[in-house]
Amino acid sequence: MIKISASLLRQIYDHTEASYPNECCGLMIGTTDNEKNHIVHTFRTCKNLNQERARDRYDMDPLDMLRVEREFEKSPWDIIGIYHSHPDHPSRPSQTDTDRAWPDYSYVIISVQKGTATSAQSWVLNEGERKFHEEPLLTEGDSR
Amino acid sequence: MSNVTVKIPTPLRPITGGQSEVKIEGATVGEILRKMDAQFKGFAERVLDDGRNVKRFINVFVNEDNIRDKKELETEVKNGDTISILPSIAGGTVGAVYDRPGRS
Repeated sequence: MIKISASLLRQIYDHTEASYPNECCGLMIGTTDNEKNHIVHTFRTCKNLNQERARDRYDMDPLDMLRVEREFEKSPWDIIGIYHSHPDHPSRPSQTDTDRAWPDYSYVIISVQKGTATSAQSWVLNEGERKFHEEPLLTEGDSR
Repeated sequence: MSNVTVKIPTPLRPITGGQSEVKIEGATVGEILRKMDAQFKGFAERVLDDGRNVKRFINVFVNEDNIRDKKELETEVKNGDTISILPSIAGGTVGAVYDRPGRS
């Protein structure tokens, strides 16, 4: 499970909408509890280095990831996941997402339809199967 | 020999027993990564292709410098340097493949 406040998720939506029709990406920073649930405390936008196919691909700038690592190295927070947008596509992982995924991170995918973020789902890689499985994404006030 | 700190990303921490950083000695990045493998079984398999190159989807930085812009594993380190191992993060929209919760 991943927990995120509605306001943070709204800010991530804002990033995905501002980047439309291109894909965008960022890092979610927070904590992991004993049951491996992720709690998002903040996020950082990252640069998509893929200019040629920005509409259907993203390559996160490794320097952005390094900067985020450095920024939070003295804090109890850590990089717990990655978000990226799927412009005019569902919030489900593609084969490319699966091929390039890492275990233990939450991958939040936001579907942006005609410039408006319409759904978000979170996925975790089962490394043995090399397949994504959906995990519950709880926003503040969500009673599920 | 230099004393450096190696930063471990979350996906590799099961190999290091949960440690997020490790202090280790060495003269080059390659030597340090091989020592990491001696200390943490399976480390090199996750980070190196054949013992001579860093895997394509891994980035290794010495302080702020990507070793691909330096001398790869022959990049020298000095006392107090930080080596950061970072997964390369990428993806895209084409071709949905997924499982719903509860499926195995």
